[in-house]
Amino acid sequence: MSVKKLSAKAFNKWVDVCVQEHCVYGVQAKNDRFAFGPLARGVDLRLDYDVTILPPKKYLQPPSEALLKFNKEAEYESITEVEPFVIFGIHPYDIVAISQMDKVFSADNGDIHYMKRREQATLVAVDVQNASDNVFAGSMGTAVVDEGFDILLTRLKDSYLIDIRTEKGEALMKHTKKAEDATEADLKLRQQVQEDNKALLNKHELLTAPQELPALLNQSLDHPVWKEKAELCYSCGSCNLVCPTCYCFDVEDDVDWSLDEGVRRRKWDGCMLAEFAAVAGGHNFRRHREDRYRHRYYRKGRYIHERYGDIACVGCGRCITACTANIANPVEIYNRLREDH
Amino acid sequence: MSKPKVAFFDFACCEGCQLQVYNLEEDILNLLELVEPVEWREAMSDKAEKYDIAFIEGSITRPGDEESLKDIRERSTMLIALGACATIGGVNKLKNNFDLAEVKQCVYSESAGMGHLETSATKSVGEVVKVDYHIHGCPIDKQEFAYIVRCLALGKTPVIPNHPVCVECKMKENICRFEYGEICLGPVTRAGCGAKCPSNGMWCFGCRGYVDNPNVNAAREVMDQYGKTIADLQGKLKLFGSKQEATDEMA
Amino acid sequence: MKEPHVCESKSDIYLPEPATVLQVKPMTRLETYFKFKLNSGKPLGHRPGQFVQVSLPGIGEAPISISSSPTRGASFDMVVRNVGNVSGAMHKLRSVDRVGIRGPFGTEFPVDEMKGKDVLLICGGIGLVPVRSVIQYILDNREDYGRIMILIGTKTSADRLFIEEIKEWRRVKNITLLETVDHRDENWSGIEGVITMLLPLVKVNPSETVAVVCGPPIMYKFVIVQLQKMKVPDAEIYVSLERHMKCGVGKCGHCQINQFYVCQEGPVFKFSDISDIEEAIE
Repeated sequence: MSVKKLSAKAFNKWVDVCVQEHCVYGVQAKNDRFAFGPLARGVDLRLDYDVTILPPKKYLQPPSEALLKFNKEAEYESITEVEPFVIFGIHPYDIVAISQMDKVFSADNGDIHYMKRREQATLVAVDVQNASDNVFAGSMGTAVVDEGFDILLTRLKDSYLIDIRTEKGEALMKHTKKAEDATEADLKLRQQVQEDNKALLNKHELLTAPQELPALLNQSLDHPVWKEKAELCYSCGSCNLVCPTCYCFDVEDDVDWSLDEGVRRRKWDGCMLAEFAAVAGGHNFRRHREDRYRHRYYRKGRYIHERYGDIACVGCGRCITACTANIANPVEIYNRLREDH
Repeated sequence: MSKPKVAFFDFACCEGCQLQVYNLEEDILNLLELVEPVEWREAMSDKAEKYDIAFIEGSITRPGDEESLKDIRERSTMLIALGACATIGGVNKLKNNFDLAEVKQCVYSESAGMGHLETSATKSVGEVVKVDYHIHGCPIDKQEFAYIVRCLALGKTPVIPNHPVCVECKMKENICRFEYGEICLGPVTRAGCGAKCPSNGMWCFGCRGYVDNPNVNAAREVMDQYGKTIADLQGKLKLFGSKQEATDEMA
Repeated sequence: MKEPHVCESKSDIYLPEPATVLQVKPMTRLETYFKFKLNSGKPLGHRPGQFVQVSLPGIGEAPISISSSPTRGASFDMVVRNVGNVSGAMHKLRSVDRVGIRGPFGTEFPVDEMKGKDVLLICGGIGLVPVRSVIQYILDNREDYGRIMILIGTKTSADRLFIEEIKEWRRVKNITLLETVDHRDENWSGIEGVITMLLPLVKVNPSETVAVVCGPPIMYKFVIVQLQKMKVPDAEIYVSLERHMKCGVGKCGHCQINQFYVCQEGPVFKFSDISDIEEAIE
């Protein structure tokens, strides 16, 4: 719609008003790391962060989410009330991940639980200011984005450019009167930031184009790397849980003390966990760590591509950081497969 | 349908897991709507002959205790191990790392020979009798206890996680303790506690026992990566993991 | 530019609708037969081979094959093996009890493609449960199909399902029905051995036959190899596969086999579509 500019001071005031007027989640320090959390004051917002421990998917698909309530007469009722909210400071790679989640949850008949949250969310993206140790968004084509957000912020020297793309974005901009139109020179500076980010956000370099991963994986089923890495795998699911494109879930009922009423919830699940593919009666279709380990890379690099057209890895590098055994670097795996072909 | 008759028994333990049950506070009344306690030394003086559910707290450390436990098992339809001492032997299993006579000497010095101080190698409840369900933890999580009782009242098998604590730790958005240079037992320990210790700044002590298939082979290389040794790891494992048997039978 | 996806659907794909148990009948030590009807009175609207998600309040939800043909009225049948929480609790259901139903979901057995052809149905254990829906469908449209060959294998004679119906099926013209048990006992004087032993006993015209295979995971590769030896084309072999499922609607990720979700592209697959898929057949 338009690109505006706010001085750093006016920007902070704008965030303060947004926080007062809306339910805002924003990136804040958590010890020496960063995490999205409820934002009380603009001053706590850390748009200079490198990466958050968990991606913002936790607001669109919470770790534990009530889907239905029921009573013992088998009468079920959907739970879908969600208040509008704003997520402040989403990096481009996480925006790409949310666009992929949108595709998955809106496919076929659509999942109203996800989609209601998504409809209520205003996504404020921000171009990355500091690269994390393990980011490889540059390799995945996700270091910058041009769609999938309501507002995109870019830090210039002592101002922010505010690229407003939707009505939701416009609504947020009503909270400041200081916005000026961005100049040609500003847009040039932004372009430079974005060009630089493509190179900077590449701490691990994928030696193959992402779009070639499905074909590469297609030839790599029996590659020794799967077994070799899986021998160190704890099947702890950390790589799944921190992944912005992992959305698999488990479903459980719990009842209140009367046993007459209860809630059906879904909870984050992970294909690396031992019982993910086990059926009632005990048969496990991926009983070996190796089966599960390989499945994850195939799902990211091939299966989701075949189904939805996306490579389900956005190069955030969270899995690399989260893996205790240091076996979860997708770039290392994919480069190794490429070398051997 | 009449309420299931339940009993609580304690062997070698601190009775802290039963304390967690009293800590349900007002929910105790809800609990009493679902079950009828018929024997519970800490809470009442009555005794009964038969139990629908016997909760066993504590580990088995004396020859006579084995007989008492077998007797309870015979009189119970369902037997549940309550807390780490019962499920995996708990801290009491530290004893099994040493010579029994030496242990007695160390603890009781000149009184070690007295008859009532007779002791044997520590066993978990499951090493003596068949256990239907394990309620893990040191202490147990009262919410998990409540959930399990509700499941049993509904006639449903409770879902007790068979994945590592890391799952719940990640959901809590904690920073991995390994990144602070600590050895954390989360990757091999059964979840269900909500990653309480890592969420409060400590490593996982492993009180819920191992997952069914812990990756023990990964240990050496992973310790190397963090500049630690197997001995460092074993030191951490000893507290709850001494001579621990797999808890597969509950899978 | 692309707007965020908007949720067009007003209905909740996870919301069960109420159904009532009409009939319960124990079949074996582990399996029980149920007849249900939707409380709305409407037919389920399923096709042979599809499944539903059955909800029991507080216990949970599980995918269950529909065992009856849509040609048999508005009620529908299931046969459930007592192996999990939901199936276990179902065994306590009595008629007039209520459950929640979602579905029908998944693909169907190719009852249209089978028209004019011979049909070879190979069922191991509770694999007969979903295949019964095809058998009933064919019997209700008998003139549309050629010869019907039904091969049934169970572990022991005590595991046999639909014993009375099998007797009726045997009496229908142009049906060959063979049964075997893995281990014979005093209650079984018929064939003993695994189900693949039955295949050489039927005369199959490979160019005119559609084969359906349904049974435990281990069974598929052995049966398929033998069908291939008999020159039945891969494109004429249909398998119904089981996987862990939570949602039934292609979201939860549990039932994935490569790019396929068994709840969406399955449970019934044409074998030629999955023959080079690494995780499909064990």
